[in-house]
Amino acid sequence: MAAEELPSEFDVVILGTGLVESVVAAACSRVGQRVLHLDRRSYYAANWASFTFNGLLTWIQQHHEESQSEEVQDRSSLLEEGEELIYLCNSDSASISNLQVFCYTRETHEEEEEEAPTPDPDPADTTEVETSADGDNGVKETSETVSADSKEKETKDEASDEKEEEQSQAPHTDGEEPETAQPQPPTAPSQSEPVRKKISYTHLVKEGRRFNIDLVSKLMFSRGSLVDLLIKSNVSRYAEFKNITRILTYRNGNTEQVPCSRADVFASRQLSVVEKRKLMRFLTSCVEETEEQQVYNGRPYLEFLRDQHLGDNLQHFLLHSIAMVTEDTPTEVGLTSTRHFLRSLGRYGNTPFLFPVYGLGEIPQCFCRMCAVFGGIYCLRHSVQCLLVDKNTNRCKGVIDSRGQRISCSHFVVEDGFVSAERKKVATPPRSISRAVLITDASILPSDSDQQVSMVTVPPIAAGSPSVTMVELCSATMTCAPGTYLVHLTCQSVGSAHEDLSPVVTRMFHTSESHDQDERPSVLWCLYFNMADGSAAQVEGHDLPSNVHMCSGPDGGLGHEHAITQAQSIFDKILPQEDFCPPAPNPEDIIYTEEETKKEGVEEEEEKETTKEGEEEEEEKTNEEEKETKKEKEEEEEETKPLKEEHKAIQPEELWRAEVLDLLTQLVLVQKEAAQHQAQVVQLLGMLGTQNSQQIQDLQNMGRHQSLLVENHQALLLQTSRIANHLHDITKKPAAASQ
Amino acid sequence: MSMEDYDYLFKIVLIGNAGVGKTCLVRRFTQGLFPPGQGATIGVDFMIKTVEIKGEKVKLQIWDTAGQERFRSITQSYYRSANALILTYDITCEDSFRCLPEWLREIEQYANNQVVTILVGNKIDLVEKREVLRQRAEDFAEAQSMLYLETSAKESDNVEKLFLNLACELIREAKQNKLDNNDTAPMPGEGKTISYLSCCSLN
Repeated sequence: MAAEELPSEFDVVILGTGLVESVVAAACSRVGQRVLHLDRRSYYAANWASFTFNGLLTWIQQHHEESQSEEVQDRSSLLEEGEELIYLCNSDSASISNLQVFCYTRETHEEEEEEAPTPDPDPADTTEVETSADGDNGVKETSETVSADSKEKETKDEASDEKEEEQSQAPHTDGEEPETAQPQPPTAPSQSEPVRKKISYTHLVKEGRRFNIDLVSKLMFSRGSLVDLLIKSNVSRYAEFKNITRILTYRNGNTEQVPCSRADVFASRQLSVVEKRKLMRFLTSCVEETEEQQVYNGRPYLEFLRDQHLGDNLQHFLLHSIAMVTEDTPTEVGLTSTRHFLRSLGRYGNTPFLFPVYGLGEIPQCFCRMCAVFGGIYCLRHSVQCLLVDKNTNRCKGVIDSRGQRISCSHFVVEDGFVSAERKKVATPPRSISRAVLITDASILPSDSDQQVSMVTVPPIAAGSPSVTMVELCSATMTCAPGTYLVHLTCQSVGSAHEDLSPVVTRMFHTSESHDQDERPSVLWCLYFNMADGSAAQVEGHDLPSNVHMCSGPDGGLGHEHAITQAQSIFDKILPQEDFCPPAPNPEDIIYTEEETKKEGVEEEEEKETTKEGEEEEEEKTNEEEKETKKEKEEEEEETKPLKEEHKAIQPEELWRAEVLDLLTQLVLVQKEAAQHQAQVVQLLGMLGTQNSQQIQDLQNMGRHQSLLVENHQALLLQTSRIANHLHDITKKPAAASQ
Repeated sequence: MSMEDYDYLFKIVLIGNAGVGKTCLVRRFTQGLFPPGQGATIGVDFMIKTVEIKGEKVKLQIWDTAGQERFRSITQSYYRSANALILTYDITCEDSFRCLPEWLREIEQYANNQVVTILVGNKIDLVEKREVLRQRAEDFAEAQSMLYLETSAKESDNVEKLFLNLACELIREAKQNKLDNNDTAPMPGEGKTISYLSCCSLN
């Protein structure tokens, strides 16, 4: 079977099965290109891969061994006239560095030894190594040394050197040494915390296949480009997803929950009523760009937040957990991230993030499956040794594979690890990502449910240290064994992964086997390493033929925007006229149409298959509407959601925004009502007032009338007296006359 | 939940060397066809057939390898959340039988613990070219606690029996373990129901 030869002609040859390469493969194959997809490794997804525990141990070992230089075979004999060769490099040790492993749990525990004699089900060869080592000394050692033990002596030296180095630079590993010297007391389990069950190293190895440990730690924004692409292309049908159930932040030595949804804000105990109102108001206001915000362009986001009078609590949440930026990030960048967060909120759950069940390594594989379904040919453990370049046109005509076969192609897509350093244009100094992977025995913030999936933001714990993003996965995500948690830490490297991340680990976790009571979760096993930052590689400007497209490895960002954008731009360069990942037909509909046609007695299959597609796509559209309403109801009930379902459902307005708006309108309504009442009162009062003033006026009038009356009276009196005088005079005169 | 369409939904995954007749088995069962030639089924992810067993509607979602087995490059995600695996070999090809342990290792690594596995020896119509004796295969299946069946996709021998037996076994397991049947994504749709009056017994 393995001897089968590859076809010798393709449209697109792709080397490397990382996310970018796999998306390009699916996109090309989907629109009818003949795709050959190769990877030198024996597993899919390159630096995006997920491993079982044993698989990860093997990976670690490979990276320790991968120092021997590969012998490059001369292929110039295969050259034709006018051609030249570009050799690729076929060891990817360059992208991973500073690997360090620590084991803080014992080889075995008394209680577990009873079940230990059952034959070991683990197929990986490392398992045997571990168990034999266990029988020999019965003490705890770093797995690195143990696994290296039975292998080359060289590696052992290297590993133990490193171990010593670690201990000198990291005081917290001291816990290991006394432990090794001390014979295991049979009462050990009861001495430690009675609540938590001790998990031994043997148990981890035995349950190894329940782990799916990602090399990259990322989350999917519910409205990010990866989720949109999964839905658009129907690739989402190959995977299942879980919500991140809560967002936490580490602050003042405590882990707190960050209120996200409206319900969270109102239920939050750490926020005062005033803070709740302020937070809601701020989040509502920053959805839209305002002039006030523009004033702060170029100035730190923190300054903007301060000037909004938000208080320390809210500033912390908004800066570190919602915008996920640093203190000196400019306002416009901070606001963009805040909006990105808010936009994704409420599409699938209480937080803006999704995580694929079985780990992120599934995603590139899902795109590979799509490529294969449309005829792409897959071959792992198979590489390309060199490119055949036409000297005149400087275009790649084909490749020579690792078996010396000539394969022609019109485009060659390659993971950057295969391109020799001198041909690449990379940012200087080279950037890298610091990573830590911990297996712990308890959640960082215990709650009612032991199946929380948490995103934790850890702001710089000292000046100059990086801010760290932590993702804690529970066994329901199928990435770790029941009873354990898988914790991923990621940051932009300042120093080595151990230097950057171990201070955070020792603060938040319990890392030695001391028997004192400690609330913090214990680390059972942990791995540190640095990975080259994929965003450091430039898209253009490499010393490569124009039809050779280089894909970068994982970047340090939380989302997948960088990878998806890059995949699309490569696809657009290869096939500028074609649609990027149009929806694949729904198998249900294919069966349906086929049976229909069968009834009519049509037997030619090939024709059917070409016509099928169009038909069922139309059909899908007509059905969509009725499905929509049905599916929306289902959505709410399901925990694990196939993305497709949501796609067809009416996409709800961003709940957050809607909720806030709702609330605001309610407030406005209430206020309006109050205002109306007040107006009425004022009116009444006014009426009273006017009545009063009228009365006063009336009184005044009456007074005036009265004074008029008085005047009149006086006038009357005067006249009367005058009349009286006259009368008097008149009566006197006759009397005098008669005298 | 769209329970009006079916009572059970099971994801069945086919594995085995290239050319042993996996696709033919599926097409024979779901469409009643035997596709001549090796025309790869472009754009078809999985096939669906709804059957009725003892009055219960069982929807079978049958996934094929999409050719990734050709160079031993099947994605792990292919095995995820499968309820049953059909491990197929060609009775006229010793090599396809000898590869079985390798396939079992892969199953152990990536498939669900509770997965039901059935070993199928296909192409019994070519009995004169048989390379693997029935007894040998039966012994192997028994040692690995798998069910065993020999089929001919071409003559339609035992094909229906194969899938119906599997469906019965899956229902039994589901009832026994109260297995959460919603493990796989429910995909409501208009599956055609074919009623089978006689129910299967496992051999």
